[in-house]
This record gives sequence, C-alpha cells and structure tokens, in this order.
Amino acid sequence: MNRNLSRIIALSAGAIAIALPLFAGDYPLQVARNVMMYMALAITWDMLLRSGQISFGIAGLFGLGAYAGILGMIRGGMPAWLSIPFAAFVAGFAAFLIGFMILRLRAMYFSIVTLALGEIFRIIIHNLHDFTGGPEGIVIQQGVIFGGSSSKLYWLTLGGLAVAIAASYWFEHSKIHFALTAIRNNETSAKSSGIDIFKWLLVAFVVTSAIQGLLGGIFVQSYGFATPETVFSADFTLLPLAMALLGGVYSTVGPIFGAILLGLVAEWLKLKIPYGHLVVYGIIIILVILFMPNGLLGRIRQTTGKRAGRTA
Amino acid sequence: MTKLETANLTRRFMGLVAVNNVSFKLEQGEILGIIGPNGAGKTTFINLVSGIIMPSEGTITFNGRDITYMPAHERARLGIARTYQLIHPLENLNLIENVMIGSIFAKGSSLKEARRKAERLCEEMGLTNLERDTAKLTILEIKKMEIARALANEPEVLFLDEVMAGLNSDETKDLIATVKKIAAERKLAVGVVEHVMGVIRELTNRVIVLESGELIAEGPYEEVSKNPRVIEAYLGGAA
Repeated sequence: MNRNLSRIIALSAGAIAIALPLFAGDYPLQVARNVMMYMALAITWDMLLRSGQISFGIAGLFGLGAYAGILGMIRGGMPAWLSIPFAAFVAGFAAFLIGFMILRLRAMYFSIVTLALGEIFRIIIHNLHDFTGGPEGIVIQQGVIFGGSSSKLYWLTLGGLAVAIAASYWFEHSKIHFALTAIRNNETSAKSSGIDIFKWLLVAFVVTSAIQGLLGGIFVQSYGFATPETVFSADFTLLPLAMALLGGVYSTVGPIFGAILLGLVAEWLKLKIPYGHLVVYGIIIILVILFMPNGLLGRIRQTTGKRAGRTA
Repeated sequence: MTKLETANLTRRFMGLVAVNNVSFKLEQGEILGIIGPNGAGKTTFINLVSGIIMPSEGTITFNGRDITYMPAHERARLGIARTYQLIHPLENLNLIENVMIGSIFAKGSSLKEARRKAERLCEEMGLTNLERDTAKLTILEIKKMEIARALANEPEVLFLDEVMAGLNSDETKDLIATVKKIAAERKLAVGVVEHVMGVIRELTNRVIVLESGELIAEGPYEEVSKNPRVIEAYLGGAA
C-alpha cells in the first residue's frame, strides 16, 4: 500500500518533470534546470556520505568535468554530445587516481583534502592560460548542443539527474549499500565480515565523482562557456550539501526534497531581496541543523514511526 | 588437525610488549580458553590472529598457509571469524541485515541467498523478530547477533572475545549451551577469552594462560588452575 503510493508519486513526479517544457516558459525552465543540477549534485554527495566520508570536493570534480567537456570540444574537436560522457570519464578517472592517495584518510582530514583538491584543479586551469583560456575562461563559439534550445537543454539536465537518481537507487539496493553502511557504522567490524574497505570507498568515490563530472559537462553545454570562477564556484559544494542536510541524508528521497525546497526558496528570495537573499538562506540552514538534525525526512520518519509503534 | 598456529608471535606498542613470543596451536573441534589477568594481552592476541593489527615479529599460519601479514578482510574470507569485547552492532542495519553482512562479503552470496542463510542462523541462535532495529535488542540478543554475524562468514576458526560479559547467570547458561552446540555441529576451532572462570570450566577443553604478554601455562582448566605460576599471576607475588 505504502510502497504503491510512493511508486505512484514518483511516477507522476517523473511524468510532470518530463512534460514540463510543453507548458512552462523559459524562466520556469531555467529555474527547474538549476534546481535539478543542484539536486543531482546533492544526491551524489549523499551517496558518498553513506560511507561516512564527508566530501567538500563537489565543485572541484564538477569544474574538472566542465573543463574536460569544453576543452574536449574546442581543443579536441569532439562533437558536443561526446564531450558530456568524456567529462564524466575524466572526473571518474581523476577520482580513481586521487582515491589511491586520499581514501585512507578519515573524518576531517578527508574533508579538508577534498576541499583542497577543488582548489588545485581551479588553480591549474587558471594558470594554463594558452590551453584553458585562463581566468577569462573559454567560450564555445559554435556547435553548442541542441543549438541552445531551452526545452532540449532542460531534458538534457533531466537526463543527468536521472543518472544520479538511478545510481543512488543502485547504491541503496545492492551489496554496496551493506558495504557503505557497515563502513560508516564500524570499520573494524566491517573488516571482520570480509569487507574490503578501500575497494568499496574507491567504487563510491569514482562513481560519485564521475556523475559530478558528467553534470559539469552538461553545465557547460547549457551555458556555452566556462570560467574558473563559475564552474569551481563554492556554491556547487555548499548548496548541494545544504539541500541534502535539509531533506535528510542517507537516502535518495531526502536530497530530492531538500533541493526542491531550498532551490525554490532561494529563487524566490533572489526576487524579493536581491542583495540579502543569501543571509536568509544561511539562517534557514542554521535553523535546520539546530532543530532538525535528521532533516525533513528524518522528522517525517520519526512521526510516522511513532504512529506505527502505537498501532503495533 | 591444526587449524591455526602462531610461532614466536610478538607485538610491541612503543616500549610495551603487549604480546611476547607466543607460540600456540588451535585444533579443529576444540574450544580453547584464553585467560589471564587484565592487561595480559588476550585481546591484542586475538587482534593479531584476526588481522586487525599486524605483528612485530613471529608468524601466523592457517591450515598450513602463512597469513602473518594478510589483511583482516581476507582472513575473514579464508575462514577466521571473531566477535568483539565491546559490542559492535551496525546500528543503521537491522538485526537480520547485520547477520547478512558476513555471507555477502566473506562468502560472496547474493542478497537473497544471504538473507536465507541469515534467517537460518538466527533461528539456530534462537533469535526472532528479525526486522528489529539493533537499538531494540537486549544484550543477550546483541551477543547472539554478533555470533551469528561471525558464523555467516562460514568460518573454520572462531574467536569469542568476552561474549559472556554483562549477562546474568541464566543468560550465560543459555549462551554456553548455544556456543557448544554451534561449535560441535560445525567442528569449529574456537578460541574464547573470558574472565568468569565458571564459564571457562564449563566451556573449554583446554586453556592457555597469558601474563604480561607471555604464555605461562597451558593445559586442561582443572590442571592449569592449580599451577602455582597461574595463581601467582592472578593473586600477585605476595602469595
């Protein structure tokens, strides 16, 4: 009953999301694209969090993917469509190499290194002036995907989101769910049950990084340019993180809820208080962390859980 | 048949020698007690043979194969399982999922197969209501769950680190009977660390005694408990 209901909700939400360009104008589509982009990043951040590792490197891998995509096109002569999977590949491969170095680190040491990673990518790209365009960035002169059609770009972003949701669903319903949860709860115990901790962390890090790179690749196709300041913006780390925390972590649904709420609130605030919206936004995040540490989803589960307990 | 053997096993922490030159054998079908006063190195010894920490010197062999520096997760797959002195439930997984872990990763079972095996193990351990959160379990149930999780590895060697601690006398009797049964049915080689001597007397065929990291006595409990050196270790030099 409950499962059927959530299936119906998910299917209708999916149908509305697909059909949106048929009845919505450019502005709502633009907002929706933004929200979906952040939503997908929030989901990937949560996927790695399920192993207990807090990454601050989302913007780094997103930006790396963005530049891989645009440079693949402009310097490598790739067709636009190919630059997107190429962006995912580059980010995933970079994560694979870096993973060998950093996945033995834990807690804040891991977080700090992932934060530094983004800065390193940004500085390298900033300084390779001849190849990357340096601080002024690089523009796709011609051949941008779908000729810039806003409804097709919307569907492209929706596709990126679908990849993130599918991967997250796979993470929730396969062996990797058990591996990551066990690692998060107790690494010693996990080892004694035959879990190769390093291997599973590497899988999670590479998969989430590749998706973040993929989204970066989609982002540059949508806007037709990349500069170090835009694609490595701290927003790409902080907003997804806040969305996942608001919605509720360790699930696919939590970050989705959080992204819709915060994404729409942020957009509305931007219109109401153009210069102060980030302050209000920050206050919301602080209130959530203080009063709903498990996010909205955690609060809902708590309430319904109690009810189930009473009837049982 | 010797399942597990150590030769001159030594582990130093800075200046402290936690395990010093210990050589022992664990045979198939026996339940071996590992006793000694607090700080004697019993848990360090189990950590060494299960691969949670690596030795400074000496060798460990399992079924004749050198596993001295093999990582813990590989030993788990090979057939060495253990429980921990401090209970380690995986709190974000429920009772049956906790037990499934061993089959999934040590044995490579599919999720479905792992669930079926876990159901059987829980039944054998007398655990019911398998979808419960670990927070809702009694101490006895958690201890049984941890043993079931270790058994899900389908081990040949099982170490139990103070599984009886915190249980009342009825619960202790219950668990002693369960451990004897599972060990006999599987022909396991079991190593038991325990502080309660009554449990050691009931449960074990043979004991080894550690003091300050050294093996000071070995033999059936009745014999070892009369050994003057063992009495001295427990009661101090004044006696």
